[in-house]
Amino acid sequence: MDTETGPLPAAPTGFWRRYVFSTDHKVIGRQFLFLGLGFLAVGGIMAMLIRWQLARPGDPVPVVGRLFFHSAGGVISPPAYTALFTMHGTIMIFFAVTPILIGGFGNFLLPLLIGARDMAFPRLNMASYWTMAAATGVLCASFFVPLGPPQAGWTAYATLSTALGAPGVGQTLWVIAIYLNGASSVMGAVNYITTVLRLRAPGMTYLRLPLTVWGLFLTSILNALFVPVLGAAMVLLLFDRLFGTQFFTAGTTPGAGGDPILYQHLFWLFGHPEVYILILPAWGIVGDLLSFFARKPAFGYRVTVGALVGVVVLSAVVYGHHMFTTGLSPLLGESFMVLTMIISVPTALLVLNWLGTLWRGAIRFSVPMLFCLGMVFTFGVGGLTGLYLADVVADMYLHDTYFVVGHFHLIMAAALLLSLFAAVYFWYPKMFGRMLGERLGRWHFWLTFVPLNLVFMGQLVIGLEGMQRRLYDPSVYEAWRRLAPLNRSISHAAYLLGAAQLLFVWNFFVSLRRGRTAPANPWEVGTLEWSVPSPPPHHNFDTIPVVVRGPHELADPAARPLGRDWLSQTEVLDEPAPGLPVPRGRS
Amino acid sequence: MSTAAVRRETDSAVGLLVFMGATAMLFAALLLAYAILRAQAPAWPPPGAPPFPRAAAGLNTLLLVAASLALRRWRAAAAALGVGFLAGQVVLWRHLIAIGLGPAGGHAALLGQIFLALSALHALHVAGGLVALALGGGKLRLIAMYWDFVLVVWVVLYAAVCWV
Repeated sequence: MDTETGPLPAAPTGFWRRYVFSTDHKVIGRQFLFLGLGFLAVGGIMAMLIRWQLARPGDPVPVVGRLFFHSAGGVISPPAYTALFTMHGTIMIFFAVTPILIGGFGNFLLPLLIGARDMAFPRLNMASYWTMAAATGVLCASFFVPLGPPQAGWTAYATLSTALGAPGVGQTLWVIAIYLNGASSVMGAVNYITTVLRLRAPGMTYLRLPLTVWGLFLTSILNALFVPVLGAAMVLLLFDRLFGTQFFTAGTTPGAGGDPILYQHLFWLFGHPEVYILILPAWGIVGDLLSFFARKPAFGYRVTVGALVGVVVLSAVVYGHHMFTTGLSPLLGESFMVLTMIISVPTALLVLNWLGTLWRGAIRFSVPMLFCLGMVFTFGVGGLTGLYLADVVADMYLHDTYFVVGHFHLIMAAALLLSLFAAVYFWYPKMFGRMLGERLGRWHFWLTFVPLNLVFMGQLVIGLEGMQRRLYDPSVYEAWRRLAPLNRSISHAAYLLGAAQLLFVWNFFVSLRRGRTAPANPWEVGTLEWSVPSPPPHHNFDTIPVVVRGPHELADPAARPLGRDWLSQTEVLDEPAPGLPVPRGRS
Repeated sequence: MSTAAVRRETDSAVGLLVFMGATAMLFAALLLAYAILRAQAPAWPPPGAPPFPRAAAGLNTLLLVAASLALRRWRAAAAALGVGFLAGQVVLWRHLIAIGLGPAGGHAALLGQIFLALSALHALHVAGGLVALALGGGKLRLIAMYWDFVLVVWVVLYAAVCWV
């Protein structure tokens, strides 16, 4: 943790070393961001197509139908529909949210926020990006093989995903893509963990880390521990598919031979930590941003950190709640139910601290703050609906209905998307040196937030009515025919949601050229990334900063003589003004 | 060594530890799968399967132990022993498939199949260690740490499949 000596690293000059095969964490972060945003658009378009089929089952898709579903005359066929929701889930989770929040913002922010010149292993960082890029290539190739893309759902349950249920090459490519994606995540985790442990600037103690760093750090720990479990499932599945082993195919005598449920155990052993892998960076970002825009220190910082750690520990022991209906032993089911409900304690603390941060704050309703407030709301609703699903008895009814879809979209789509946008609006000036348009940003927020909630809360209602997920055409079932108008309304809200994202795309690209030039510290906050120019130079910091206080020094009386309400993490005050009370718990 | 070099080596050691933790989880998950399949089976090994060639696997184990022991003094010998281990594994795999413990053996060959999956993945990690030795130059301490780790993983796999 001592200061770097020797000459500053020189910035590369050639095009390829600078923009393509760069080892600069800021460039790699932007590469991940663009890759992720691209796939977010692809996954989003797939969601629109899914909604079209649910609103008007069997009608040809207008405009793009002839292009995508040529052989069926523009109609989404049942296999195409199955492939659509499979790829929608896969892309959104592994190829949109993961690269944007962890790869993109993780890379860009970690060294800047802890006061380092780069990641601990810059070349490994580059390898991580290109492994991810290779994974996307393999995944996309599955669209162009005989029998088409995979259709086993994003969970790829055996035996839907073994040679029995999926004879095509598409599913094999999916398995390889997921393995490569995981390898990229583990490389990232090695880098992030080492960077946080070893490269913090002098004075940057663990309890002075911005919550964003805590979120990314804990996510990396979960990534390092549980992504390999998915890797194990993928290796066994690959053996089943390529070499004809039968690990996931049941034998003729009970118990002898393979076991399809074994796949589910391995998958969810990874799969439940995975949802926290995705949400932890978002929690961290929202925790920081709420404090910045409420112009107050984060309420209960230590409790928040403790809650994040608590969630990480508990996340490893709750996965069985995905498998209540698989004939799990009732004793196990009950244990998983109790453990799952216990996880709501640290999560509730987290939300409580967010509300505490807002309480009596001098709130600035800037665009990033709007998205953060939206996130707090959708996360609250999404989290509460999780309690119903944690309950074994309720889950027996709700399992595999749209209630589950609504629940996890409220968190994995709504809350994550909103915090992801908050992060883009907040750090865009630092990344690109320009401000995003404020007015378009507000429109974007309201036209995202309202339809988002209509869509996913509508799904909750439909799920309570019992409608199953993954249905090609619900209207063929007498019981759900009356839900058709509701399904159609949900689709209309979804189209509005999709269309509103065009505002963001427009804002993003136009602001790159024409946005207002960003000052070094447009939001007036004290974390380290705002102490360097926007965008930061190749080496980030001319001299490695010495940190003297925490990340949320807002509304600090000590700053009053300076004529502002915030203090930088590195600012050394001449002498404490006499008689000013020093708030407790500030370091 | 200068302080900067010492610091960089410690960084690398921390990174390697995290990587080894992740790799350990990969093999732990595979062993869990093996344990679940085995615990559910009415009889183990599945009836009708030929006996597992423990001795051949044991011989390969000795090669890998020798490679790890040799690494700190005679790198060339260690590399040769490492390559020897991989060659031994390939021979073992071919033998397993020939005697009907391969994928074609159906559910009776489950023990051989799970061994193939475990040892193939392990072999890739040994090969990675060999590449690191060839390219890694002065970082012998870290490479030795990784080789020892790969050895421990192998011993656990071997014991779990052959002796437990």
